Amino acid sequence: MSQTVNPAILVENLSFSYPNSERKALHEVGFEIQSGEFIGVTGPAGAGKSTLILCLNGIIPHFQSGTFQGKVLINGRDTFETPCAEISRLVGSVFQDPEAQIVAPSVEDEIAFGLENFGFEPADIEQRIQEALSLIGISHLRYRSTTELSGGQKQRVAIAAAVALRPQILVLDEPTSELDPIGTREVFDVLRKLNTDYHLTIVVVEQKLNVMLEYINRLLILNQGKTVCDLPPRRILEEPELLTGIGLKVPPVSELAYRLRKSGKYRPELPLTVEEAYCGIVQSLKNMRNNHD
Amino acid sequence: MSAVANYLPRNTWIHRLNPLTKMLWSIILMTLSFLYRDPIILAVLFLSIALVAYMAGILKEMLPAFKGLLIFAGIFLLFQIFFITEGKVLFYVIPGTKILPITDEGIFGSLAMGARLMVIAASFPVLLGTTQVKDLVIMLVEKIKIPYTYAFMFITSLRFVPTFMQEMEQIVQAQCSRGHRLENRNLIRKFFSLCPLAIPLMITSVKKAEQLAISMETRGFGLGSRTYLHQIQFRAIDWGISLGMLGMVALSVYLNLQGIFQ
Ligand SMILES: Nc1ncnc2c1ncn2[C@@H]1O[C@H](COP(=O)(O)OP(=O)(O)OP(=O)(O)O)[C@@H](O)[C@H]1O
Ligand SMILES: [Mg+2]
Repeated sequence: MSQTVNPAILVENLSFSYPNSERKALHEVGFEIQSGEFIGVTGPAGAGKSTLILCLNGIIPHFQSGTFQGKVLINGRDTFETPCAEISRLVGSVFQDPEAQIVAPSVEDEIAFGLENFGFEPADIEQRIQEALSLIGISHLRYRSTTELSGGQKQRVAIAAAVALRPQILVLDEPTSELDPIGTREVFDVLRKLNTDYHLTIVVVEQKLNVMLEYINRLLILNQGKTVCDLPPRRILEEPELLTGIGLKVPPVSELAYRLRKSGKYRPELPLTVEEAYCGIVQSLKNMRNNHD
Repeated sequence: MSAVANYLPRNTWIHRLNPLTKMLWSIILMTLSFLYRDPIILAVLFLSIALVAYMAGILKEMLPAFKGLLIFAGIFLLFQIFFITEGKVLFYVIPGTKILPITDEGIFGSLAMGARLMVIAASFPVLLGTTQVKDLVIMLVEKIKIPYTYAFMFITSLRFVPTFMQEMEQIVQAQCSRGHRLENRNLIRKFFSLCPLAIPLMITSVKKAEQLAISMETRGFGLGSRTYLHQIQFRAIDWGISLGMLGMVALSVYLNLQGIFQ
């Protein structure tokens, strides 16, 4: 027996095409995610991001039909051979459409749904509901009807429902699509907390790069079903063509610093946040003044 | 959603009764209304429903439903009255001719039918007003052993009514903004002009249903032995009321067979 620890997620040569479509939604994608990593996935519309998420939680190949090639291992277990319900003990999922993933008439029942399916005792369910709600910061919504919630509130409820199951891996497909910038940051703060305090491995699909880049360890960029790159955020900023080449936008602060550097006016590492950019620019200005003297 | 099927939260002993007790009440009312054909007895049954609604503090909310039922029963009665030709002819609708006779049996029989209809239909809004559908379903699954999947389908279809209303509204607006005309048309043309909207609605419905199924799948749906956060108890008062009601039914059937009450 080898003593090596399995990666949380191992994807090898993964290709998938939906029925009635010649184009492959995923084309020979491969990557490895270690336990405790926080990974971002981005790409233009139709890049295959949602399809990739469905491959990680076992919906593909168990639920969605199509042509599946390659391998997906979760904690070393092949998703092809593991029933969906087994995978759902390890992987929690949040989907793109906040409306259609809510199953219960009230928030409390929604969080309880998965716990009840897994057969937890009512006392445990009660405790986990409280915990999940307060972790996501929506304890005040507990007794509300799910139909009267806003899109953003629904997305938070969906996250709480997934977190309540205490998965080891959390995959989220555009969990902030209906949230304003402040709400988006709040959600990412929660994800960071889950990642650092609870050692949850997180894979999140997100379009809002300017927010996401601050939080993640690595960014996986997809385009037309293929991996464009899989790099830490700062490395991607060094090569903005990776983003601009497929029609994605570089975060404004990073682009500003990148252009300043091109003209020789910015030396430090490229910034991810306004705070970093501010420090970097102040430092560059100081250097310039010293050089003049 | 229609106000008729809405849960109306109040803190009354009727709300606290076990959903099964209340369902038994509904079924018993239905049974009794088939047992009797005396409009007066049926009217008393109807009043008993109103009394229950009053005790549950939801009579005011029930009045529109009752009124609607009354109108419906009235129309029903009008149609019915012409079809029963047995019995003593009281008069003809068009005097001087023998067209459309109205008989005593006809009046009596259609009154009974109308009243029966009201009794059967009136208990449901009261049942749903005092019971959460989800509690009802949990009881049906736990005690009556209806498969959870079917029960779940029922709850979910209720939950999706407002979603589809919204969806429909959006599609109508989208099509109208492209010049699809819906207003100023008679009923039949309006119906046909709604048909093209049915296809997008169907597509989005199928997509939503699929997404919902995926969401359930990733949360362990169908794993087997399921628990419930809220256990609902069948308490002494439920036993008392249920047995009391069953006793009353037995007595009524007995008296009915003896020909004392018809
Ligand atoms: N159920 C399906 N049946 C057939 N083709 C599909 C299906 N779902 C997605 N596709 C196709 O697969 C490709 C990848 O889709 P996917 O939804 O994974 O993209 P995405 O990156 O999530 O896009 P978006 O940003 O719009 O969410 C697209 O070309 C899409 O048209
Ligand atoms: Mg998508």
